[in-house]
Parts: sequence; structure tokens; C-alpha cells
Amino acid sequence: MRMTDMQDDDLDRLLSAAASAPVRPTDALMERVLADALALQPAPATLRPGPARTRPGLLARIAAAIGGGPVLAGLGSAAIFGLALGYLSPTTLDYLTGSTVDAAEFFPDADFLTTEG
Amino acid sequence: MAFDAGGELSDEALMVLYANGDRHAALALTRRITPRVLAYAARLLSGDRAEAEDVAQETMLRLWKVAPQWRQGETRVTTWAYRVATNLCIDRQRARGRRRQTALEDAPEVADASPNAEGRLQEAGRMQALEAALAELPDRQRQAVVLRHLEGMTNPEIAAIMEIGVEAVESLTARGKRALSAALSGRKEALGYEDDGHAG
Repeated sequence: MRMTDMQDDDLDRLLSAAASAPVRPTDALMERVLADALALQPAPATLRPGPARTRPGLLARIAAAIGGGPVLAGLGSAAIFGLALGYLSPTTLDYLTGSTVDAAEFFPDADFLTTEG
Repeated sequence: MAFDAGGELSDEALMVLYANGDRHAALALTRRITPRVLAYAARLLSGDRAEAEDVAQETMLRLWKVAPQWRQGETRVTTWAYRVATNLCIDRQRARGRRRQTALEDAPEVADASPNAEGRLQEAGRMQALEAALAELPDRQRQAVVLRHLEGMTNPEIAAIMEIGVEAVESLTARGKRALSAALSGRKEALGYEDDGHAG
């Protein structure tokens, strides 16, 4: 540094004073900047309501309470099959199942237990 | 405008809110960033207020445009804004074909006046002399000195803005300060530094 140069302290003090001197934006500038901001701002994403839900009828609610359509179908099928089993005679069943045995004899030697004398 | 621009949300969080359509975020960012960019541009452009306002508005305009694509964690908003403002100032200086508006010699002499008025005049003269001396610096030195000593940024922050290394920042600020000191030395007496020593 030359002898005629400013002292570092003086320069630092000058820079510090300049740094603390505010450069205030005018209201007009702030308004212009804000107007730009709002003009360019993406629109907020909107949440659209779904279609209105209608109240289900009594039968639909009963069906839902016991498990819905698939369960009802299974119940119906079982009921019909049960009725068929009860209605049809054993002969018809044999025909359906292809069985040729009239009756199964599980204890052939136990007749003496039920025979008198 | 009741929203507090100095709230706890970071600038980066406000950018996300702005991109999601939050009008308060637009206002908060305007209030936070615009004054800083304006002050910086005014100092780089040797106090040309009208051009500094144009630079500040253009910088903010680019900020609004980039907001929807803003990537969190990559760059700080202020770093980005200072970088854009720097480039805009350089473009304007080149366009007008001159680097400085105020000649060092144009800085006013301290006028004879009452003690209080003399103090104010002396302070104004010092500021104007500093502004003129800054205008004499090469662009990069001026940017580094302004960012470091007038905007109060750290060397790593300046390095990010100027896209150079920290050592290069240190070198630029050191050379800039030496050049400032040399430029102002011829006006030491007029600026009151020989008479009042360290008076500020």
C-alpha cells in the first residue's frame, strides 16, 4: 500500500456505513413486482367433489350386511341344492350319482344283536 | 398486506407455496427478495436507480417464471436471484457502453457549513466517492466487493453466486479493496479522513 492510500480502518468504516445505508424500494416498484407475481402464479389445484351418493334400498342394505352379491349367490345355490336333495327319491339320487348299491351294510354280522330268540 | 414477510418459512418453502397458488407466498417473496436485489443492482449500476429498479423487476419476473420448476435443495433463492441480477447488470452496462455513470471527480467537495450540516455533507460526499470508486473497479472485483462488504455475504455464498471458487472470491475482494483504497486515497483530505482520523 502506498503511503497515500486510505487506511484499512477508514475503508472498512466507509464500507460499513454504506452497507447500513438502506436502499428502499418504492411502493410503485413493490406493486409492480407483486402484480407480476400474481399474474404469473399458477392457479391452485382445485378439489372436485365426487358424484352424489344415493342411499341404497332396504334389500341392498340387507344384502350388504350379509356379505354382498357373491355371498347371496352362494347361499341361493346351496338352498336350491338342499331342496333338490330333500325332494328327490333315493333312486333318483342313485341315478344322478351313478351308484348301483341300494344300501350300505356297515355291520353285516351284527344282526344277532337285534334278533330275538 | 398483513402477511409477515419475515416469517419462519424459508425462501425455498415459499417458492413451493407460490407455485401451488398461495398468494401470501407471492407477497412474502416480493417483500423479502426485491429490496435485496434492488440494493445490489443499484450498487453495481453505480446508483442508477431507474435501471436498478428495472433489473430488480426483471429478476423477480424470472423468479416467478421459474417457480413451478424450482428444485428444492439445489440452489438458494437468494443465490439464484443475485446471480440473475448480476448478469442483468452486466448486460445493461455493456448495452449502454459504459461502466460507470458518476466520475470520481464528480463527487462533491465538502462544503463550508455548520458543524451538523457539515457532518451530513461529509457523509454524503464519502458515500458518493465510494460509489464512484466502486464504479472504477473491474466488473468481477466490484461484484465481489459489493457482495462481501455491502451485502454482507460469506465467501462461499459469493462463490456460489459468481460460480467461482472461494479462493478466487478472496482474491477478488482483496484486490478490489486495494483498488478502492487507492482510488479514494487522493480524496482523503476532502473526505475528512486526515482531519478526524477514524471518524465515521
